[in-house]
Amino acid sequence: MDGLISVAGLTGVVLRNADGAEVGRIADVVARWGVGSYPAVTGLVVRVGARQAFVHAEQVAELAADGARLDSARLDLREFVRRPGEVLLRHDVIDHQLVDVDGARVVRASDLYVARVDDRYRLVGVDVGMRAFLRRIGPARLRRSVVPERVIDWGDVAPFSLPGAPVRLRTPHERLRELQPGELADLLEDLGRSERHELLTALAPDTAADVLEEMDQDDLTEMLRDAAPSLAADLLGRMEPDEAVDALRSLADDDRDAILTAMPTETADHLTGLLAYPKREAGGIMTTHLVMVHAADTVAGVRAVLRERRAHSEDVDAVVVVDEDGRLLDDVPLFDLLVADGGVLVGSLVGPPWPATVTVDADLDRVVDKLIANRGSSLLVVDGSGHPLGRILADDVLDVLAATRGRRWPWQQR
Amino acid sequence: MTAQPQTPSDTRHPPVAGVENARRRRGRHVRLSMLLAVVGPGLLAGLSDDDPAGITTYSVLGARHGYQLLWVLLVSTIALILFQDLGARIGVVTGQGIAGLVRQRYGARAATVAIVALVVANVGTTAAEFAGIAAGAELFGVSRYLAVPAAALLVSALVLQGGFRGVQRVLLALSAVFIAYIAAGILSHPDWGAAARGLVVPTMPFTRDTVIIATATLGTTLAPWGLAFIQSYAVDKRLTTADLPYLRVDVITGAVLTGVIGLFVVVACAATLHQQGATVTDAAQAAQALEPLAGRLARDLFAAGLIGAALLAASILPLSTSYAVADLTGRPAALDDAVRDAPLFYATFAAVTVVGAGLVLVPGVPLISVLVLTQVLNAILLLPLLAFMYGIARDHGLMGRYRATRAAAGPYLVAIAAITLCIAALGVMEVAR
Repeated sequence: MDGLISVAGLTGVVLRNADGAEVGRIADVVARWGVGSYPAVTGLVVRVGARQAFVHAEQVAELAADGARLDSARLDLREFVRRPGEVLLRHDVIDHQLVDVDGARVVRASDLYVARVDDRYRLVGVDVGMRAFLRRIGPARLRRSVVPERVIDWGDVAPFSLPGAPVRLRTPHERLRELQPGELADLLEDLGRSERHELLTALAPDTAADVLEEMDQDDLTEMLRDAAPSLAADLLGRMEPDEAVDALRSLADDDRDAILTAMPTETADHLTGLLAYPKREAGGIMTTHLVMVHAADTVAGVRAVLRERRAHSEDVDAVVVVDEDGRLLDDVPLFDLLVADGGVLVGSLVGPPWPATVTVDADLDRVVDKLIANRGSSLLVVDGSGHPLGRILADDVLDVLAATRGRRWPWQQR
Repeated sequence: MTAQPQTPSDTRHPPVAGVENARRRRGRHVRLSMLLAVVGPGLLAGLSDDDPAGITTYSVLGARHGYQLLWVLLVSTIALILFQDLGARIGVVTGQGIAGLVRQRYGARAATVAIVALVVANVGTTAAEFAGIAAGAELFGVSRYLAVPAAALLVSALVLQGGFRGVQRVLLALSAVFIAYIAAGILSHPDWGAAARGLVVPTMPFTRDTVIIATATLGTTLAPWGLAFIQSYAVDKRLTTADLPYLRVDVITGAVLTGVIGLFVVVACAATLHQQGATVTDAAQAAQALEPLAGRLARDLFAAGLIGAALLAASILPLSTSYAVADLTGRPAALDDAVRDAPLFYATFAAVTVVGAGLVLVPGVPLISVLVLTQVLNAILLLPLLAFMYGIARDHGLMGRYRATRAAAGPYLVAIAAITLCIAALGVMEVAR
């Protein structure tokens, strides 16, 4: 491919002035992270004798694997001082971890490519191929015969911050936002510790909470223990309560206490209450997000309530109708509310079939049996006197059952 | 440089004062359960150093030199603690394996040379483990053509099918056979006074023979693959910096057990073989030679320990190699990945196992030469590996506030210098010959 210049191939290349006299040899390429998808090359680090000097990009007439040329005979040699946002492509980026946003995976850069775009040299791609890696091990000649192999467009790459450099993923890659929480969870699992922390804090808190819900239990536990208690508390507070409780359960007592202490009292009390229920009983599986209405409410009124609870739409498949004392009357599916006239009272929708319920201490087998017998998408959990406490969705049961899947030995089934 | 260095630790929020107090108050109660959750990497990596190569070296040390060189074992154990702890800490703090870090800090070429050497050395060491299994099985009258393939299948099945926790528990259970060595040592009625003196009084006749055995003892105790393994394992086990104190306990426990087992092997051979003037060249011979001197039970225990230790190491070696290769090339590497998601990882695993077992089974392979060359390669590889680890530990960008201070780094340098000295002395003596 023409026009792509390998950064690894540039190392050791002779830099000549306009008269053709040797000035030094290229040691590294400096680029600036920041605005735009393709970072501009701001200069070269050049080895002149025993010194390392900085050559500004404006002075570079041509960059090529067989030699680089300055645009004048005079050379302004300065000592290289890293300015904010500047990175050394060879030293700081090649061989380091990057996120390939397009493929949603963690890669290690084998080589980088710069190209001339609109009269400036810019970083345009990263090679993650095995061949690009191997040619760097061989002699310099091999390093310069570049055949781009598995090149990722730099626009699809999220780089990480570098020691000493202030640029972080704080303005996260646009496309990171388009990734599914599950994909982001996989990325986090593959990254080194500081990179992982950086990616997590770069995400919007609500997205980060969604990502944590998708994570493998062990990885989630590690993330929470590794994060500051205040951050862990914030993220857990944004997770669905049943997921948050599952996560808290996997922590040691003191880690759990630290996180609960850092939460607003109300959230902490709520989660502590849920934690009291054993994990594999109805109380431990249920979500406590219930939409509760009275028989005298209108369907239009209920729809307004649902609109307010949009954030919890995943946990709501029906609306609980309770009497004056808060005891369960019926569980009205969303479908019934959708097709009913807005002016109709909810009470008119109450009637058989009556909702399937279990008590908080029902074990997993009983919950599964009830769900199968009922053929619905959820069950209600009630206390001894018929007050609704929570809802068990079929997918919550799936989560519990899936946790035992793939664990082939009895001792793996926690 | 205009900006303050950004490190992993800088991004942490200051802990709430109340939380810190709560942590401190509860500290003591949770310690044991926390330790149990963290235990594994240090214990496994340490104990697997008592593999057939290790036992052979310790047997020769005891049989040739009696109790005199026991202190070499003590020094090796201290070095083992230092570097296993360092490896585990680097793994936890960076979340990356040694190969990836060396590539990142020292470049593709250095990393590739180191990892290629590691792979070759690991294949050789795997062959040594299977050779140990073959020798141990033959002491019990079982053919190697049955024992070695069966062992290869067993360890592969354990590692590949058992998933992560399964492997760890089975391996730890397996390591219980090391008690056999302690029993064998006691049955041989050693002179404990002489043993204690040999352990703490460093004396050594400066001959080629003693330098070789001292270097071999250091090299077999502080094996490169063990160092690579403990780091990957700490990463894969998803440990956090909060686990570091427990991990240190784990590492010290593993290393001390390794040293104690080595001590009993040396003592058993010193009390019997050295007294009788018998010479041995491998562990199976030592087991056999024990029989007339310490009884059949001592012999059988010794042989059982040999097989168990070989199985343990043979499970770890292919795994450790796969981690390193995948890590170097930036390909996925976790036991929880499916084969199609991590082909390189599993291909390496299969190759190391098959070639390692094949070297033992195919007639005409000069096995002794392979094993000797492996030991030499391991010793040579150890130095750059330790230097890399030292460099990474001192790197502020990688380690943040867990960077080794100048004072803490001193013992590492002393250990590296001692090993360099041994290898250099050996080299000089070889040339002089």
